[in-house]
Amino acid sequence: MRQLPRPGSSPAAVGPAAAAGGHPTHTVGLRRPASSAQGSERRSRWVLAAAVAALAFLLIGLGAVLNAGPGGERRTVAPPVRGGATAPLSLTGSSASSIDALTSRLQSHLRAQPRDARSWAVLGAAYVEQARVSGDASFYPKAEGALDRSLGIAPTNNDSALAGFGALAAGRHDFSRALQYAKQAIAVNPESAAAYGVLSDALTELGRYDEGRDAARRMDDLQPSLASAARLAYHAELRADTAAATRLLSAARAQSESAGEVAFVDEQLGNLAWSTGHLDAANRNYRAALAAAPQHAPAMFGLARVRAARGDVEEAQRLAAQAIARRPQLEYIAWYGELLDRAGRRDQARNEYALARATIDLQRAQGVDVDLEAALFEADHGDATAAVRLARAAYDQRPSVYAADAFAWTLHVAGHDRAALEYAGRALRLGTRNALFSYHKGAIELALGKRAAARADLGRALALNSYFSPIHAGAARTALDSLGGAR
Amino acid sequence: MTARTIRYGRHTRPLVAGAVALATATALAAALPALGPNGAGASSHREAPQILGLPQYDTTDVYAFVSPDTPDTVTMIANWIPFEEPAGGPNFYPFATDARYEINIDNNGDARPDIVYRWTFRNDRTPGPANSFTGNGTFLYNNGPVTSLNDENLLFRQSYTLSRLDAKRDSWFTLLDRAPVAPSYVGKASMPNYAGLRNAAVKSFGSTSAHGAPTGFAGGKSFAGQADDPFFLDLRVFDLLYGGDLSEVGSDTLAGFNVNTVALQVPKKDLTAGDNVVGIWSTTSKRNSSGDWVQVSRLGSPLVNEVVVPYHRKDRFNHSQPANDAQFAPFVLTPELPKIVQAVYGIPAPATPRNDLVAAFLTGVDGLNKPAKVTPSEMLRLNVNQFSGQQDSRLGVIGGDKNGFPNGRRLTDDVVDIALQVVEGKLLPNHPAAVDTLGDGVDVNDNDFSNVFPYVALPHSGSDPRGAAAANSTEDQGKTALDGGASTGGTPSTEPGAGSGSSDSTGGAAGGSGGMALQAERASSDEPMSSATSMGLAAAAGLALLGGSAWMWRRRRHAHPVQPGQTGTVE
Repeated sequence: MRQLPRPGSSPAAVGPAAAAGGHPTHTVGLRRPASSAQGSERRSRWVLAAAVAALAFLLIGLGAVLNAGPGGERRTVAPPVRGGATAPLSLTGSSASSIDALTSRLQSHLRAQPRDARSWAVLGAAYVEQARVSGDASFYPKAEGALDRSLGIAPTNNDSALAGFGALAAGRHDFSRALQYAKQAIAVNPESAAAYGVLSDALTELGRYDEGRDAARRMDDLQPSLASAARLAYHAELRADTAAATRLLSAARAQSESAGEVAFVDEQLGNLAWSTGHLDAANRNYRAALAAAPQHAPAMFGLARVRAARGDVEEAQRLAAQAIARRPQLEYIAWYGELLDRAGRRDQARNEYALARATIDLQRAQGVDVDLEAALFEADHGDATAAVRLARAAYDQRPSVYAADAFAWTLHVAGHDRAALEYAGRALRLGTRNALFSYHKGAIELALGKRAAARADLGRALALNSYFSPIHAGAARTALDSLGGAR
Repeated sequence: MTARTIRYGRHTRPLVAGAVALATATALAAALPALGPNGAGASSHREAPQILGLPQYDTTDVYAFVSPDTPDTVTMIANWIPFEEPAGGPNFYPFATDARYEINIDNNGDARPDIVYRWTFRNDRTPGPANSFTGNGTFLYNNGPVTSLNDENLLFRQSYTLSRLDAKRDSWFTLLDRAPVAPSYVGKASMPNYAGLRNAAVKSFGSTSAHGAPTGFAGGKSFAGQADDPFFLDLRVFDLLYGGDLSEVGSDTLAGFNVNTVALQVPKKDLTAGDNVVGIWSTTSKRNSSGDWVQVSRLGSPLVNEVVVPYHRKDRFNHSQPANDAQFAPFVLTPELPKIVQAVYGIPAPATPRNDLVAAFLTGVDGLNKPAKVTPSEMLRLNVNQFSGQQDSRLGVIGGDKNGFPNGRRLTDDVVDIALQVVEGKLLPNHPAAVDTLGDGVDVNDNDFSNVFPYVALPHSGSDPRGAAAANSTEDQGKTALDGGASTGGTPSTEPGAGSGSSDSTGGAAGGSGGMALQAERASSDEPMSSATSMGLAAAAGLALLGGSAWMWRRRRHAHPVQPGQTGTVE
């Protein structure tokens, strides 16, 4: 029987590792484009330097929070300010730093008026947003401090602080707590769009998708905004209604006046296109996002994936390193490591994986639950048993389709395919068009000898996006070929 | 932010920033973040942005008055987008294109709109590089001097359609189509004659609609564009709501800020239907993802959202219709503010229920601006028949001038002082003398209003750093007793909320208690203060609230003319 490789502790040794795991192996050759492996030695050093710098950035950030207290303020790069007095050419439209500006104003105000509970709540929420925009979890303790102050001053009828606490809990992936806070905020202020946003996020991540969508609709009815449209688009996407998701995002884009908003929407549109294998459209959208906001890391990363899919591995590596330097996010780092792995540059890949682990530790140090993300990473690059433990914990916490997929995959890697299949099914219960979900399910089915089902699911994964993963896409293709190809 | 800090200069930064922040918090009342979960930055779920306020849809003020130069007409003005920093760029301030900006008229007292004027906007971007964001996250607003509204150097333009609903006949007429919006005043070099652009944006409409259909009324004028924020106050007066220090009021914290204005002038007879009193309020609606229109902002009388409706009911108020205002009556009958003032300043709160406030806020005052038949509801009520023999007073009716607020609202009416005094019992017999002196110490706007439509002052130029205007009002800050709190330094050495354990050490708790102690101290002061906060002087509201000792403030308005470029602008 043919098997798909189970990623093990040796990240690059896909085929042999699977064999060592006791399964008869269909050899899956790693494609190693000679062009990239050869010519990029110097670049790879630079890339490593960037990774180390990013790690240092993270650790310094952690140190600042742990040690420096109030002095640990991180400043993000603000766009250049142009005066209008002598320049007959006026630049407009950029508000990428509006969250920085808001935060700074609130800080100044609160120094003068420390009894202003509302402003403390807004500041707390602004810190949570800072974390979202920057990926820097060291904002969470700050948010907690500000929200504590707010609720301490105004313990009743303070829906702002409650919604802020809900957003903070959601940011830390404690969605049950986020749900409680959202409900409390709504009890105080039944027409708070912000609270309904938190409610929607919490319900969604807890796997209560219909309720989550209803909450997003309520939010949209109370105060329509890009924030509500993005949530509705996500629900459409989860239910495989790509057209509706695109329509919602495009409508939101038409109303976006700030560069940050435009970049966010274009990035989302790019991700939609990417997830369904439309490389040209993805490329176009990511480029538009970067045209609006050149430092928008998610679009850099998206572009890196498109480049890699088109075989331009060097450019893909450059973009990925750039994205990571800007925003050291686990997903980017792991993908970049896998890209290096596939190019045969295993030492460098290992450095990336080390960096990935550091980001996991860092997130945990800031009170963020990263079990789900860590589980998938461990399954592909580490310890299968630990991966299962993490994924089970994550699934118990929040039985979302993503958690179900992670649980399924870790069970498979640990050899528990029968249990894995149950969760792989749950991952796809909304019909989400997700190549990785389908690949995981197909691999599990193949391991169980369900050849027809495996063929269908692997075919679905590759039909959606044949470049969905540096390490798994090739394996999926080879396995599918061995099963007789796509139907 | 760093650049902006430098620009404001040493003296002004804390004040300006504080004012903006408070204002921001106020402006964000209905807009606390709806955050997407992320932080770990995972692909395991979706991150969505938060609502950081929707200023494009946020009404700041409504004015309605008999036009001083054409007294057979009424002028109505509504403003959106608070706290526009002229030089806070790179920024500009368009109207939203997915919004309905409306002024509603109830002319029979039934709390329902009988006439609605609606402005809807569209963008006219010059195709080409300006049509999208460019490589540095910006796009071009203009690429050379702009000398007319049609100047090809003006790359981003907006135009609007003005329509009028006759609700009784359920019919809409288009009054103006593709009318130009006065652009944001990006700078003197870019727009050497902004007044010319403003004038060109004042559009008349005739007795037939834009489509030639007779409308049955006599026509009027419309304007949409940027203007100086005509609201003058010291926003810090609201600090009392959370026990802040009131020693520092007396400067117009909106000085130097712009807003987006729509203004309309129509004959009185186009508004009235038998009764001389019309109710006026603005609404803003935004299209949601289902294509439905959602009302996200509502405003009639000033300060209702600030001093009457509790914070956690602001969203409901913004979503509500006047016909359902009975739900807010308890907040009028037993208001919170007097209790706070009593606790902090010792002025006894008037006995409840406050039926005097029902007249002021919900029905209009008998013999002044109360319709013959009225359903209690919150709106600005204007008697279009002017009272003769009135002496102009910034305090309007309570200043003996029946042609001012709350009978409509003129640009010059000092609504903060009026509202404070009314809420504290000014309309009640035998109210404490201290009530007559309440105020924020700011009696006039920072810019002169115009004598002709649309009356609002020209916007501050993008060449003028916002800090320049405020600088004049803050030089005395060093004299206040709370130096440590608000006005010293300007070096952001601490960061509120930088950690749950450390935030108390930022001076937060200490500053709070210090403020309270200070107020208690002042409460014992007994030197009465004249209500005539005379020209050239203004009184600090905290002291005024206490009937306390006079605090000399330089009148900010003309004492120190704004000197553009003087404050160390970072170019």
